Amino acid sequence: MILNYPSKIGPVKPAQIGRALLHRSVTVAVFTAGLALPAVALAQKSPNERIDELERKLEHSLKQIEQLSNEVSRLRGAQGQTAAAAPTTPVPTPAHSAQQAAKIEELERQVAQINDANAARGGLKLGGLPLHGFADIGAGRSREANTLRTGAKGFNIANFSLYLTPEFGDRVKSLVELVFEVDRGGDVGADLERLQMGYTFSDAATLWGGRFHTPYGAWNTLYHHGAQIQTSLTRPRFLEFEDRGGILPAHTVGAWLTGTLSGDNLRFNYDLYTGNSPTIQVDATRPAPGGVLNPRAGGMDQYSATMGFRAEVAPRGALDGLKLGVHALRSNVQDVPLVNHTRLTFYGPYLSYSNDQWEVLAELYKFQNRDLSGITGKHNSTAWYAQVGYSLGRTTPYVRAEHTSLDQTDNYFAALISGRSYNTTSL
Amino acid sequence: MRLLSLLRWAVLCSALHAVPVLAADIYVIAHPSAKLTADAIRDVYIGEKQFAGEVKLVPIDNAMAQNEFLAKVLKLDQARYANLWVKKSFRDALNPPAVRTSDKDIFDFVAKTPGAIAYTANLPPGNVVVIQKF
Repeated sequence: MILNYPSKIGPVKPAQIGRALLHRSVTVAVFTAGLALPAVALAQKSPNERIDELERKLEHSLKQIEQLSNEVSRLRGAQGQTAAAAPTTPVPTPAHSAQQAAKIEELERQVAQINDANAARGGLKLGGLPLHGFADIGAGRSREANTLRTGAKGFNIANFSLYLTPEFGDRVKSLVELVFEVDRGGDVGADLERLQMGYTFSDAATLWGGRFHTPYGAWNTLYHHGAQIQTSLTRPRFLEFEDRGGILPAHTVGAWLTGTLSGDNLRFNYDLYTGNSPTIQVDATRPAPGGVLNPRAGGMDQYSATMGFRAEVAPRGALDGLKLGVHALRSNVQDVPLVNHTRLTFYGPYLSYSNDQWEVLAELYKFQNRDLSGITGKHNSTAWYAQVGYSLGRTTPYVRAEHTSLDQTDNYFAALISGRSYNTTSL
Repeated sequence: MRLLSLLRWAVLCSALHAVPVLAADIYVIAHPSAKLTADAIRDVYIGEKQFAGEVKLVPIDNAMAQNEFLAKVLKLDQARYANLWVKKSFRDALNPPAVRTSDKDIFDFVAKTPGAIAYTANLPPGNVVVIQKF
C-alpha cells in the first residue's frame, strides 16, 4: 500500500488530519480501484470490445492448452521408452494369439515334412531307396574229411548280402540282391543273386521278370541268402545254392507269375514260372565230378526252357500258420563240356507250420530223370528233410533229419559235385 | 506276526499287479476309397493284402499307438512285427508301412491319400472312415 502524505510538515490541524485521512482514504480507494480497474474498465467497454477481448484471451488459453498437450505427449513417450527397456510380462492380445497360432502351424508343417523325409529314408515308396543287408561270420570245427568234402575249421566269414526293394509307383516293384561270397580258399566273389522287376495286377497276380529264386517247395521260397532269417544256420545240403554244391536249380532267369486268392477259411497261393534251363558247368580243376549248376543268367546259345509250378493252401482259423503244397519242375540240362543231356523232372509235397512256439518244415522230392543222350534211360531218386524247432524266445532249438538217395548212374547227379547220396541229422 | 504282515503285503502287491491296465481305444481308419472290412486289417498290416478292389492300399504305422495296435489287433509285439517285415521284404520285395508320429499328420495323410489306412488312439475327424474300433 502506498500512502501519499503532504510534503509540507507543520502543526497538524484537525482539518488537516481530516484531509489527510480523506486523502488517505482516497488513495486507498484509488488503490482498491486500481485493483478493480480492469473489471471496472471492462464494465465500462462496449460489447464488441468485450468479445474481442474474450476471444484474445480464449486464443491465448488455447495456445497454452496446446503447449501443455505437447508437453504431456513428450513426457509419455519418454516414459514408454523407459518401460520398454525394463523387463515386463507381455499381455496377450488377440493379434498376439493369432501370431502364436501361425507359428504353431508352421512348426507342425515342418514336423510333417520331417516325418515324410524319415518315412522316405525308412524304405517306403515315398521316394527313398531302402537298403537292407545280412552278413554272417562264424567259427567251427568239423571232423568231416573225405575226398569230396572237408568240414570247415576255425573262423570264417561266409557272405555279405545287400538287397534293395525300390518301388516305382503303385504297381511296379523290384528286388535286387547282391551277395559278396567268400569261398573256402578266401577268395571273394560278387554275385547278383536276385534281380527281378514285377508288376502287380492285384493280390491275385504279380508278374516278375529277371533272376529270381525258383519257387519250388518250402525252403527255397521261405529262405534266401540271409541266414539270419532261418532257424538253422545252414540249409539242407541238397537245397544248397548252386555255387555251394546244390543239386537243384535254386535260381531261374525268366518270368514268374505269382498270387494269392483269399477266401474266408482258406488262402490259395500259386506260382507259375518259366526260364532258361541251367547247364552243369564242369570244373576240370576240381576233383571229379566237379560239376556245378549254372542258371545261365547271361543267356543261352540254344534256348531250352525250364517250366514249373507250385500250389499251396493255407487254412485260416485254428490251423492258421499251416501251409500244404505241391510243386513240380521240368528242365533240359546239358553238362558242359561233356555234352550229356538230361531231362530233369522233380515233384513232391511239402508242409510248413509256424506259430508263436513251433516251427515245422518237411519236404519230399521225387526225381524222374531221363537221359536224353539215349544211353542210360530213366532214373528215380529221392530226397527229403524234416525239421522241427521250438521257440524259447531268443533261441530256437531245432532238430533236422536229411536223406538223399540219388541214382549214381544218372548223368545229372554223376556230374554234380554234391550229387552223392547222404544221410545227416542236425541239432 | 511279521510273517502275516509280509503275507498281507504280498497279497496286496499281487492284487495290484493283477489289476488290468485300462488300455486306450484304437480306431482303425481309412481313406473313403479303401473299402475294407475289419477282417482284412490284419492281412493288410502283415503284407498279405495290398489291394482293396482296384485301389492300392497304403498302410501307415502310428508311432504313438503302435504298441497298442500290435497287441490288440495283430497279436504281436514289436520284435515279432519287425521280424515279420524283414522276411516279407526279403521274400516278396514288399516294404513295411511308413511310420508317422502325430495324429494330426496321420489324419491329414489318410484324408488326402486314396487307399491310405492307419490307426489312432484318438477320435478321428469326419473326413476319414473308421473301419473298426478295438
